[in-house]
Amino acid sequence: MAGGMDLGQGGKGGKKPLDTAINLVPFIDLMAVTISFLIMTAVWTQLGRLQVSSAGNSAAEQKDDENKTPPLTLMLTATDMKLSVGPTVMDPIPITRDPKGAIELTKLETQLKDVKARIPDEQQLTVQPTDEVKYDDIVRVIDVIKGVNIDGVSLSPFSS
Amino acid sequence: MPIQVPGKRYGKRLQSSKVFGKGTHGKKSIFADLLITPLVDMFVIIVLFLIANFSATGEVLMMSKDIQLPTAVHVKDLDLVPVVMISKDQVLMDGALIGQVAEIVKSDQMDIPELEEKLRELKKKTDEMHASVNDTSQQSTAGDINIQADKDVAFKIISRVMYSCSSAEYGNINLAVLGAAGSDSPATGQKTASATP
Repeated sequence: MAGGMDLGQGGKGGKKPLDTAINLVPFIDLMAVTISFLIMTAVWTQLGRLQVSSAGNSAAEQKDDENKTPPLTLMLTATDMKLSVGPTVMDPIPITRDPKGAIELTKLETQLKDVKARIPDEQQLTVQPTDEVKYDDIVRVIDVIKGVNIDGVSLSPFSS
Repeated sequence: MPIQVPGKRYGKRLQSSKVFGKGTHGKKSIFADLLITPLVDMFVIIVLFLIANFSATGEVLMMSKDIQLPTAVHVKDLDLVPVVMISKDQVLMDGALIGQVAEIVKSDQMDIPELEEKLRELKKKTDEMHASVNDTSQQSTAGDINIQADKDVAFKIISRVMYSCSSAEYGNINLAVLGAAGSDSPATGQKTASATP
């Protein structure tokens, strides 16, 4: 055509393509290394602690002395549990277990909630297990006590 | 239409089926394409899950097959402090054997002399270390210790260990437990339990 210029079709004719191919190989390598590292450092079991301090040093105990609430004591034997509020001993709770062997603490929780409702400022409780009581039972009992918002739990051997 | 020998003829569909040995186009290829897209998707999901699970605290307790920890709900985070391990047979302090449970239980003494001695040495070293860097904060002198005991251990041995710890000025005893489902966040609450050995 007159006045026109033929740029041709071959060589560098036309627009540059805007699409680029992403190389996935280094990305997959990165993922594989990251997964290997994270699997080695992953936390598979959640651990926790129930804090225990020696008697007389606990700030909660000193606070209790100031508040002068009646002392709570829970005597734990292999057969039953007895909660006492000051000189008053509540009905003993016979120890029952679920099919898995875990101690059932529903009645204890009810008694503790009742005590907490009557004495809202109560923050101290002493658990006195006998020597043959299992550690698992003691931990479950302490856990229930903390669940009813009694912050300071003392643990001492049972003295008859 | 091709010329065929006169005789029985089957339908076109049946003729080209596998019944007459046709329909397979030679040997099957043994090469399979790797699908990259679902592979990358799987990697991304696994990485995201593991990152969410990541903890920078590191190993605080050595989990032993001899010790099955009890579970609890209202727990706090475990700190890196000395550990006393109590299995059904042995008592260990930071990996070193203290004594056999059967022998400790037979004794009439309330404390365990070997454990108390080790703890006193450790306390002395810790105090010297803190003094050398002029660290007088309360945290440096607090006697924190973890007790990692099997759930079937009797309280008799636990009480002796706790008494020994308290005698050696490790009065802040933490009972190591497994966090059960629905466990408390460590940032909430100041619940503590104290022991009178």
